[in-house]
Amino acid sequence: MFFKKYKKNQDQVDGFSHLGESSRFEGEIDCKGEMEIAGKVNGNIKAKKLRILESGTVRGTVYAEDVEVLGYISGNIESQNIHLGEKAIVKGDLNFENNLSVLAGADILGRIQKIKKDKLKKVDTDKVKYLDHTKAAS
Amino acid sequence: MPSVILRDTKLQGNLTQKDSITIDGLLLGDIKSQEIIISENGNITGNLTAELNIEVGGQVNGDISSDRIHINKTARIKGKLFHRSLVVDEGAQLEIASTTKKKLNNKSNNVL
Repeated sequence: MFFKKYKKNQDQVDGFSHLGESSRFEGEIDCKGEMEIAGKVNGNIKAKKLRILESGTVRGTVYAEDVEVLGYISGNIESQNIHLGEKAIVKGDLNFENNLSVLAGADILGRIQKIKKDKLKKVDTDKVKYLDHTKAAS
Repeated sequence: MPSVILRDTKLQGNLTQKDSITIDGLLLGDIKSQEIIISENGNITGNLTAELNIEVGGQVNGDISSDRIHINKTARIKGKLFHRSLVVDEGAQLEIASTTKKKLNNKSNNVL
């Protein structure tokens, strides 16, 4: 009994991962916890909670439970909750399950859709095929 | 601002940064930075290139090139090392070929 609890704590991670302002990443990100992006990311992101900061730039699809966009994203977002900040720029479709909030000043270029609950759950993100973004980047 | 990747995160691709990167998670791909720190849970398959300093406490499969390389006791490394100075702590598991060079060209200025 105690052993199990101990094991659970081992899996838990306090805090969040952070990609700094001067960073540049090309490829897939798979985060089981929280993630913050202040740099440039070329590729798809899967996370529980994702925050794209003002200096952050993402080109790729985002799958998450909570997404907060304060910067720039070019690509679709699929999430339960989506929040767009004042300086957010989104070029792509927004698919949300529960809540969408947009602050005055945010730019959106794309469709916005509330989708049914089971639809997102079917997205088994482990099996989501990684797009060949390296070709797109070059 | 330096990057920190925790152990619940998997990355697949190349990461470049101007200042410092700390990795506690899994990364398949190369890293280029000024300073790289691989913590105990870190697992890298790919080459590490840093201008100043690399500290390894986790698992690395690939080549490591930096001015200074510090290998902690929890490290497991397989690959080639290029460095000006090297520190290895007791207990590190290594399968490496190590080369000391007077000059290394690991400039990360042209990264971005």
